[in-house]
Amino acid sequence: MHVVVCIKQILDPEIPPREFQVDPQTKRAVRGRASLVISPFDLNALEVAVQLKERAGGRVTVVSLGGEETPEALRRALAMGADEAVWIRDGALEATDASGTARCLAAAIAKLDEPDLVLFGRQAGDWDQGLVGPMVAEALGWPLVTNVFQTRGENSPLELLQQAEGGYRVVAATLPAAATITNHEANVARLPKVREIMLANRKPITQWSLGDLGLAADEVAPRVVVEALAVPVPEGHCTFIEGETAQEKAQNLARALRELKVI
Amino acid sequence: MDPMATPTREVFWNIEHTWLVYVLLYPTAIAFVYGLGRRVEGWFMGKPQIRWDRPWLRLKLFLRDGLAQAQVLRERRAGLAHLAFSWGFLVLTLATVAVFLQHDLGIPILSGNFYLYFQSLVVDLFGFAAIIGVVYVLYQRYVVRPPRLTHGVFSDGVLLVGFLVALIQGYVVEGLRIVATQDPWGIWSPVGYATGQLLVALGVRELPLQLALHRFFWWTHLVTAFAGNAYLPYSKAMHLLVAPLSLFFRELEPAGRLRPMEIEGAERLGVKALSDFTWKDLLDLDACTECGRCQEVCPAHAVGKPLNPKTFILDLQRQMAGLAREEVTPAVRPALAPGVQVAAATLAEDAALEIVGHSIDPEVIWSCTTCNACVEVCPVEIEHVAKIIDLRRYQVMEEAAIDETPQQALQGLEDRAHPFRGTQASRADWYQDLPYVKTLAETGPVDYLYWVGCAVALNERTQRTARALARILHAAGIDFAVLGEEEVCTGDPARRMGNEYLFELLARQNIDTLQRSQVTRIITTCPHCYNTLKNEYGALGGLFQVVHHTELIEELLAQGRLPLKGPVDRSPITLHDPCYLGRYNGVYQAPRQLVDALGERVEMERSRARSFCCGAGGGRYFMDDRPGQRVNVERSRQALATGAPTVATACPFCTLMLEDGVRTAAREAGREAPEVKDLAELVAEALDEEALAAGWPPEEAGGRRA
Repeated sequence: MHVVVCIKQILDPEIPPREFQVDPQTKRAVRGRASLVISPFDLNALEVAVQLKERAGGRVTVVSLGGEETPEALRRALAMGADEAVWIRDGALEATDASGTARCLAAAIAKLDEPDLVLFGRQAGDWDQGLVGPMVAEALGWPLVTNVFQTRGENSPLELLQQAEGGYRVVAATLPAAATITNHEANVARLPKVREIMLANRKPITQWSLGDLGLAADEVAPRVVVEALAVPVPEGHCTFIEGETAQEKAQNLARALRELKVI
Repeated sequence: MDPMATPTREVFWNIEHTWLVYVLLYPTAIAFVYGLGRRVEGWFMGKPQIRWDRPWLRLKLFLRDGLAQAQVLRERRAGLAHLAFSWGFLVLTLATVAVFLQHDLGIPILSGNFYLYFQSLVVDLFGFAAIIGVVYVLYQRYVVRPPRLTHGVFSDGVLLVGFLVALIQGYVVEGLRIVATQDPWGIWSPVGYATGQLLVALGVRELPLQLALHRFFWWTHLVTAFAGNAYLPYSKAMHLLVAPLSLFFRELEPAGRLRPMEIEGAERLGVKALSDFTWKDLLDLDACTECGRCQEVCPAHAVGKPLNPKTFILDLQRQMAGLAREEVTPAVRPALAPGVQVAAATLAEDAALEIVGHSIDPEVIWSCTTCNACVEVCPVEIEHVAKIIDLRRYQVMEEAAIDETPQQALQGLEDRAHPFRGTQASRADWYQDLPYVKTLAETGPVDYLYWVGCAVALNERTQRTARALARILHAAGIDFAVLGEEEVCTGDPARRMGNEYLFELLARQNIDTLQRSQVTRIITTCPHCYNTLKNEYGALGGLFQVVHHTELIEELLAQGRLPLKGPVDRSPITLHDPCYLGRYNGVYQAPRQLVDALGERVEMERSRARSFCCGAGGGRYFMDDRPGQRVNVERSRQALATGAPTVATACPFCTLMLEDGVRTAAREAGREAPEVKDLAELVAEALDEEALAAGWPPEEAGGRRA
């Protein structure tokens, strides 16, 4: 079983909101002092992949497209149990969007050694679009199962456990297939073992440029133009609940909350 | 008998068939040597460690704590009882050696003054002291029965009763000999003499009866003593041979300096099996006297957590002795190291047994707050905490076996260089409106770097400590700056949680920053940072002068550089000694002087070296407590018991833990919760701002120092 996990390195989503700023010119988040981390759902995807490898054997390849600090994310993935890492690195990718990313990833997956399953985080922790996974599946012409949290079985068809309203649905996926992964107690990312971290530091990372993937710069040019991007300013409104007695106040409060659909 | 004759006595008087002594001796000696050998063999499984540097200091400390038993005597009555019977045992053994020298080697030693003063008087009195000591500890074990002495009730009884019986038999033998031979020097053995007189008074008047009884008691005394010697290496009495070794080979490094370890190239990170421990760690296991002092002071044990430092050591000891084998082997077979033959139930097999999960429950090692109270109180220098950290190291680094909450703290350290997940603060927040707080980048080299610490900078409550200290430093005219966003965690939580790798990464980063900024002197508000910067960075090449804020403020007060308004309103004040400031670094006095300058001081029942942890150390701050097992609540109860309206701390973790704990404790007691404040806050509140505004110190007093 060859599982590919596509990961994205993003700004640490846990920085204090106050420190989060947007550059009005480029319409991108300002790095500031924030660290770069693997997008949270991608960590869940990695965990699902490593669990599958531990159960069914095979290997895990992790692929990421990004700037100069991408190797850090790839090394962490290697430490968590991935066997190989591919870094798609090209200056022309600086401004790309979901469609360009998906093209690159699809080309890279096609170039890899017969993957059986490709996993993505449900959506990236920065833009929250959830586009890349479906777009890659489309480009590859593979079946896609969304919101998966666990796999069962060892061969094709693989059982994918998909989150559903109040429970889950088991989807038997004929491989090769793609899936987007959501978080669940069954796929909390493991803490890498120190020995694995040290080994990961020595593993080579394959680098592919657009040329290596057989793509031209205009094929990955952004197709979506961001018109505006701003940090929301939280606004507080204060409403006093009136009432003669405590009971009346409570009733009015309950009514107000119900009108706001809070309760 | 000629009164001018040289005092002596006949060895083997009234005893025939003395060859029988040797017949009895050989099996005894074989049992003794075999038992001893098995123990010593166990220690040799351990990894090498140099513990014979500074031999004179070691010898001095051995004489103090081994022969003079200074650490045993810290508990007055039990210590005196122990001193009495252990010295009694030693002197009686020497007396036996003297007999051996005379009888078997032909050295005529048992005559003259040596016979009178030592062999008769001294030996007689020490034997009596031993009886008193043994009776006292028997009374403690079987009548008083404190919880710490409930282990090994039977085996302790065998040892103590056996010893007592041997002593009484000895006096009976001596008394009968004195009576029967009408020994002219009999009075030099006063207890033996009195025993003889007592027996006569009880009707043992006829010589043949005296001779027969003497023979009977002589042989039974011999059998009791031999049996005791044979049993010794199989019992906790073994400590009388091993404790001197554990005292001599003790840890001489500062308590706060955790043993360094090699990471790159290490075959195994941390301790999985007994053979991963050092030989001193394994020797420690046999040095345990089962006195239970560690159990009595352990905060985790006090609140019902699964850790009991005494049983922790004894469980490891049992595993080493091979007794655990039968109980755990089936479950443990897969855990055996590769290459070890399962069928051969040998010492090597026991050594390969994984410790955590078999003889030690994982919860045991994770319950430890690393407060070091057990190590501090141990009379034989057993190093409990180092062993627990070594076990954690394996669990975290090789197995990644750690609960999710502490794992997130470690992850936070890795991703954002602090362990506080979800904090809304950044390191620069607390001083945004304080014009006198600047970063080193702004000021260039300064007299003191103020190392703020994550627990201070990233928590709204404890930021008040930083603001207070900055105010004080400014008022005293201290030239200082902070690192601001450049500061990262010292790595203490990672190290104490067993992630040495992460600790080193963080430490190297900090050492680089500090050296690049030409920092030599550092003030810390957090005792954990203090300890790590002061004691642990040296091994990685970072040598700095580190001062805790209470030490510096105390110095400034003593120099008259801080005007105070007078006693605070909420006096008296009780002081909580943070473990990493007090026990680990011996800073007890400075915080007390500050309290005394601020108001009346009331001490908690457990203070200074016996201080009770707040519950946060060793990464426990980042772990969940079961209901009813919260160390901070227990410590808060102790603080409440003083009745003081103010609890002073000197550590941000203690502040947070106790502020939380006093609410629960006060609710239980139906009282108002005391205020918990760092000493920096209390001093800053007491600053005489008017005097400062008017210029302090007054010009005539010499003016402000630069």
